[in-house]
Amino acid sequence: MLRFVVFDCVVHLSGKQCAVSKQFAQTHLGIKSTQATVTSRSFSHCSSPSSMVSVDIDLLPRRPGNMHAPPPPKINTATHRGRVYRQHSPFATMADAQFDSALDLLRRLNPRDTKTNLQAITSIVPELTEDLLASVDQPLEIRRCPQTNRDYLLCDYNRDGDSYRSPWSNEFDPPLEDGTVPSERVRKLEIAANESFDVYRELYYEGGVGSVYFWDLDDGFAGVILLKKGVTPGSQSSGEWDSIHVFEATDRARMCHYKLTSTVILHLANKTEALGDMDLSGNMTRQVEVDLPVESDASHVANVGRLVEDMELKMRNLLRTSPILCCLVEPIGVYANTGFHMTEEVYFGKAKDVVGELRSLGPLSDANRDRETQREMIASMQK
Amino acid sequence: MASTVELASAFIEGAPPGEMSSPALTSEGDDIIPSLLPAFKRYNETQLTTVKLPGSSQEVIVSEFNALEDNRYFDPESQTSFELDHTTQTASGAQSYHLESSNADLIKSLLKSFGAHAREHYPNCSYGVYPIENDSAVAILLVANRYSPNNFWNGRFRAFYQVPVSSPSTLTGKIQVDVHYYEDGNVALNTTKPLSINIPSVSAESIVSKIAAAERDYQEALNRAFVQTAEGAFKGLRRQLPITRQKVEWEKVGGYRLGQDISGGKGR
Repeated sequence: MLRFVVFDCVVHLSGKQCAVSKQFAQTHLGIKSTQATVTSRSFSHCSSPSSMVSVDIDLLPRRPGNMHAPPPPKINTATHRGRVYRQHSPFATMADAQFDSALDLLRRLNPRDTKTNLQAITSIVPELTEDLLASVDQPLEIRRCPQTNRDYLLCDYNRDGDSYRSPWSNEFDPPLEDGTVPSERVRKLEIAANESFDVYRELYYEGGVGSVYFWDLDDGFAGVILLKKGVTPGSQSSGEWDSIHVFEATDRARMCHYKLTSTVILHLANKTEALGDMDLSGNMTRQVEVDLPVESDASHVANVGRLVEDMELKMRNLLRTSPILCCLVEPIGVYANTGFHMTEEVYFGKAKDVVGELRSLGPLSDANRDRETQREMIASMQK
Repeated sequence: MASTVELASAFIEGAPPGEMSSPALTSEGDDIIPSLLPAFKRYNETQLTTVKLPGSSQEVIVSEFNALEDNRYFDPESQTSFELDHTTQTASGAQSYHLESSNADLIKSLLKSFGAHAREHYPNCSYGVYPIENDSAVAILLVANRYSPNNFWNGRFRAFYQVPVSSPSTLTGKIQVDVHYYEDGNVALNTTKPLSINIPSVSAESIVSKIAAAERDYQEALNRAFVQTAEGAFKGLRRQLPITRQKVEWEKVGGYRLGQDISGGKGR
C-alpha cells in the first residue's frame, strides 16, 4: 500500500471517511480505477487549518489470473511535486527514510552507474522500485514503433504495465486493450507537439531521437518532451546527451500557468595515449514556472516549445561554460578562503577547478612567496 | 542475484572522495556492518585513506603496501605502526616501528626528496615509500584530498609508483583523479593514467625528477582534454543555435495544424 498526503486538493469529502473521485486518482496520481482502490481521509494538522488529506492506495492485480506482481500505478511525482508530497510526519514510515536514503545514495554514487545502482537498491528494497523508477532520471531507451517503423523513446510517462505507447501510432507495444491514452483534445496537442519538436530536434541535434507524451489533468494537461543524441567522433571518445523536460500546464483565464522541470544527463568519455582514460558523467535538474497568454490550443505548443528551447540553451551553457575553459591552476583555497559560493555558472567546469586545487602546476613555494610579497605590500600601504 | 552484503559492499567501494559516511540503505540496520568490513578495508586501502596518528597532527596513508597483520599499518617516516578501525577510519594503538629493509637508505632518501616534491605541488597531501615484493622494489604512494561539502564538491588525486631496485629500471604506475560535484545534480570526473618510465639509474633524485615530469605532463594533458571535450564532443551532441543562427519559429513549425482536423490520433 502506498500512502500520500495531499495538500489543498480538490476532493469530495464526506465525513471522516471520504471517497476520492476516480477522476482525481486518475488525473493526479495516474492510477486507473482498474488498478487500485483509493480511499482517503482528512486529518487535522497542528499548523494546517484545512485540507490535508491522506490517500491510501491499495493495488489490485491488473487482470484476474495474473500470477505476477500487480503493476503498480504510475505516479508522476516529477510533475506533482508541488501537489502530492511523500508523507513525512505525522505518519513517517521506515519506507520514507529508506526512500530518502536511496535518493541520497544515488546522488552520491557515480552517475555513470545509476542504472546498475538502481537495480542494486531495488533488489535490496523491492518495495521502493516504483517510487524510485518514477523519481530517478536515467538515460532514455529507444524502441522501434511497429506500426510506423519510427524510433521513439521510453520513459515512465508512456508506460502502462509492461507496455509502452508509441507517440507516432498512439498504440501500446506489446498491445494493450485498455491502455491509458490521452483524451482526444490532448492527443491532438500531443501530435502537434511531436511534429514541432521533430523540427526542433533536427535543427539543434541534427539527428538523434525525440518523443513527446501528453496526459490529461483536472484543470489542464501535462507532458514530457524527450530528446536523445549520441556521438562517437572517434573510436576512443564518445558522448551521449539525454534531455527530459516534464511540464504541467494549468488553465487560467486567457492565461496558462506552466511549470517546467528539466533534467539533462550527459556522459562524455575520452581516451588517448597522453590522457589515459577520462570519464565525465553527470546530470543536472532545473525548474522554471511562468504564466503565458493562450489564444488557442496552438499557443500551448508554441509556449512549451519556447520554454524548452530557452531552458536547453541555458543548461547547455551551464554545462560547458567558462570554468571548464579557464586556467586549471587557481589560487589555492579560493573557495574556502573567500566563502565563494558555487553559482550556476560553475558546473562541469567544477571538475577542472578541483583538479587545480588538488595539484598545482607551478611550485607552491612560488605561490606562497607571491602571496607573502602581496601581503607585505598591502601592509606597507596601510601604514 | 547478488546478496545484500555484496551490493552494499559495492556501494561502499563506490563512495566518492570524502563521502564514505553517507547513509547506508539496508533493512537489516547495523547488523550488516561486520559483514561489510572487507569492503571498508578494500575501500581504505585502494583509496589511500589517510588517518591522523594518535597525538600527532600528521596524516599517514593506509594501503596494501604498508599493511601488517590484524588491521595494523606502518609509516616509515614517523617510524610508527598503528591499528586502524576500518569503518570509522580512525587509528589507535601506535607503537614505534623499525623498518627492516635492505633498501632502507633508498627509502629514506626517497621520502626526503619525494616529500619535497609533494609539498611543492600538493597543498594538502600525504605520501609514503614502502619496500615491496620481498625487498626487490619500492612503492611510492601519494594522495591529495580537497573536501568542500558546504559547496557540494570533493576531490581526490592518487598516484601509485613502483620501482624495481635494479639499474637501469622501469618505473610503472598510475595516476587517478576523482572529482564529485553534487549541487542540484550529480557530476563525476574519473580519470586513470597508466605510466611506464625508464629510470637510467636508481637514485632518489632521478626517480623523483622523472615522477615530477610525468605528473606535470599529465596535468597539462588533462587540462587540454577539458577544453577539447567542451569544444568537440559537446558541439556534436547539441548545437548552441540552429545552423540558421535563429531560434525556432514555433508558430510556423507545426502548431498551426491544430486548427485542422487530425483524425482521432491514429497514425500521422
